[in-house]
Amino acid sequence: MSETIQDAELVRLAQAGDAKAFEALVVKYQRRIARHVARYVKAAGDVEDVVQETFIRAYRGLASFRGDSAFYSWLYRIATNMALTHLQRDPGEVLLGDDAPDERAEAFEPGASDAEDPERTLFAKQIAETVQRALAKLQPELAEALMLYEVEGKPYAEIAGMLGIPIGTVRTRIFRAREFIAKRLEPVLEPQRGRRW
Amino acid sequence: MSLKVSLLLDSQLAPGEVKAALDEIVADPRLRDRYTVYGLVGDVLRGNSTPDDGFSARIFERMRREGARIEKGFDPLKNE
Repeated sequence: MSETIQDAELVRLAQAGDAKAFEALVVKYQRRIARHVARYVKAAGDVEDVVQETFIRAYRGLASFRGDSAFYSWLYRIATNMALTHLQRDPGEVLLGDDAPDERAEAFEPGASDAEDPERTLFAKQIAETVQRALAKLQPELAEALMLYEVEGKPYAEIAGMLGIPIGTVRTRIFRAREFIAKRLEPVLEPQRGRRW
Repeated sequence: MSLKVSLLLDSQLAPGEVKAALDEIVADPRLRDRYTVYGLVGDVLRGNSTPDDGFSARIFERMRREGARIEKGFDPLKNE
């Protein structure tokens, strides 16, 4: 199942009035869009505004999404337009050079203020360390499937071919890997419970 | 059911299965939480350990506040 087809199904549900389908798309893509916007926009608060505007415009324009391209590609184009519009409105913002955007995007934390926030930085570090520790304890075949998918960006079918296993096994391994890590993240993320989707 | 969360996130469900899976996930706070956390795990592995500290909730809140609705003929790629 391609991402294009399934996102189109979620879009179709949203177009039919299922707001939760659109929310699922927001939750799925918010970080990626925020990182993209942070390549253009300087202040973290402004990044959040631009991301919000991006999703609101996307929702308003859902009827015009025909599924000719992937939903994320469409969202990405809207976000780019919104970021550039923001830059035109606020000349104080500086469009960063080609070598800097990725670095800025790496550093972006949605919801963070412009000021240094040691608590947030520590929290993000705890999350990263917990995931890395869990990954180290994970059965190698589960970690391998997860890394091939999440980091290498390989589709399920390709992973199945590479590892010589049925695609159903790839699905199970990735799920089990995520669940293993998610359980170890639970105590770390507990303070945030209720603020997430 | 958490397997379905993982499959929904990765676009591995058939179109006919998406609605039922989504309804189940939305109705269960634990499954909604898993959907968010599984996504976070992927982002962390790609180098972004940012938690969702209400970021998406603020998007939904603003949509509600502004009464966002689907508008026929509105093109989000054109400047207003």
